[in-house]
Amino acid sequence: MKKIISLTVNGKVVEVAVEPGRTLLELIRDDLNLPGTKLGCGLGDCGSCTVLMDGIPTFSCLTLAIQAEGCRIETVESLSQDGHLSKLQEKFIEKGAIQCGFCTPGMLMTSTELLRRNPGPDEHEIREAISGNLCRCTGYQKIVEAVQGHSEEGEK
Amino acid sequence: MALPKFDVLCPDSLDEACDMLESHASEGIKILAGGTDLLVNIKLPVIAPRAYVLESSTSQLVSTHSEELWKDHSGPLAPPSPAYLLSLHRLRNELERIEELPDGSLLVGALTTARTLQMSELVRLKWAALAEGADALGSPLVRARGTLGGNICNARPAADLFVPSVALGAKLGVVSIHGYEVIDASEFALAPGKTRLQSGQILVEIVYPASPPGTGSAYYKLAQRKALDISVVGAGVRLTIDSLLKITSVSLALGAVGPTPIVAKTVIDVLLGKKLDDSTLKLAATAAASDATPIDDHRGSALYRKQMIEVLTRKILTTAYLRARRSL
Ligand SMILES: Cc1cc2nc3c(=O)[nH]c(=O)nc-3n(C[C@H](O)[C@H](O)[C@H](O)COP(=O)(O)OP(=O)(O)OC[C@H]3O[C@@H](n4cnc5c(N)ncnc54)[C@H](O)[C@@H]3O)c2cc1C
Ligand code: FES
Ligand code: FES
Repeated sequence: MKKIISLTVNGKVVEVAVEPGRTLLELIRDDLNLPGTKLGCGLGDCGSCTVLMDGIPTFSCLTLAIQAEGCRIETVESLSQDGHLSKLQEKFIEKGAIQCGFCTPGMLMTSTELLRRNPGPDEHEIREAISGNLCRCTGYQKIVEAVQGHSEEGEK
Repeated sequence: MALPKFDVLCPDSLDEACDMLESHASEGIKILAGGTDLLVNIKLPVIAPRAYVLESSTSQLVSTHSEELWKDHSGPLAPPSPAYLLSLHRLRNELERIEELPDGSLLVGALTTARTLQMSELVRLKWAALAEGADALGSPLVRARGTLGGNICNARPAADLFVPSVALGAKLGVVSIHGYEVIDASEFALAPGKTRLQSGQILVEIVYPASPPGTGSAYYKLAQRKALDISVVGAGVRLTIDSLLKITSVSLALGAVGPTPIVAKTVIDVLLGKKLDDSTLKLAATAAASDATPIDDHRGSALYRKQMIEVLTRKILTTAYLRARRSL
């Protein structure tokens, strides 16, 4: 039986009817049409489905939509404002931290939260923060540099 | 990866949760906390879709966990996925908390996540083994969702919050429609994935004995990589010393070297009344290894595990002793 839940997604309050077994990821991608968040492993291993739930990086593939009722969700789509990419997104491009791009939305959300809590993270802190987000392309170094580069220049 | 069909119940109070567990017991109902074990097990055939199991073996309608490790999804006899999940997410206000009680003990609500434990200065200062267990669990994303209650109730022998909880002498507070019960963490697990928890019972709080001056604890996990790996061996210890630096109480627990977290009992006799010098450390390490019954598997051989128990025992005893001295 579908349940009606209400949650805030990228600043907008949404009320939706969801199947009990629907994951937060399926709700975001398929019902709310926000395809930035990616499905990789579906099992909590890769982090490509990371969104912020009440400000905390969360794998949406292992979270039921129902468990997110009343929560504030931020997806990668929320990072750009009026067609302008965020500073961190610009840094990812500038430093070559994106290759195939599949891990990028998750990496961006995880790093966004790190930078909110710790605006000047060192290399170790960055590597620790993204240790649940796998990247098959970049070897991580460029991602670390992008996050570091962002913190050196400060928040936009 | 899609989930099979089930209904999710969302109680607004513990009383309601207990009633729901009782009234749906016969249809199969499982408690959902963070879901980092349960939802993985339901997605993988560890807990097979109900229909599949009904067809293949009608007698297999058990709602307990399979013997498999959380990722080894081999067995064809996987129990069926439950018809109902009882999600505790509306009880966060009640069950997600960390509080030092007037008698100096620490009360942690079952829904407290590993991330919250990691960030608590109180826990890190006085119950360091628990904070270090949280540091070692999965990855930041797993720690953000995975709860203390789920880690304990899932009852894996390598569980990174369960093993230090056993070392710290935790007591588990459990409720059901029949009332409140306290179970020792060291007696809670019966086999991999099997616990003393009866159907209808919810773990609500975990209470850690006070950490008076002269007390120190530590947990160390040995795995092949730092993030996202299950231990080859895990070891936690809590000890108290007197003003002469002699050990007056000690409790050491080992993970991944037996069917449940193991309390190393012979270590106690070796250490009580002693200062921690080199020869005592050596004796304690040998004693700890003799208390364990590790097996060969893809994470390491039994022999390697025995040797690593010795190394880890020396390491955590040294750290905990240092912390105990600092807190005198
Ligand atoms: C990628 C990944 C990596 C992981 N790495 C590790 C690791 O390194 N170390 C480790 O120890 N674990 C690891 N885990 C397992 C898991 O994250 C932890 O065991 C976690 O603490 C489980 O908590 P949960 O809230 O998610 O439990 P859930 O999945 O919600 O529940 C687990 C079990 O406990 C029962 N349960 C939960 N809460 C209660 C309660 N209050 N009362 C009664 N029963 C209850 C459920 O019914 C279920 O059977 C990993 C998991 C994933 C997906
Ligand atoms: S898709 Fe969610 S963690 Fe891999
Ligand atoms: S850029 Fe391809 S996975 Fe990271």
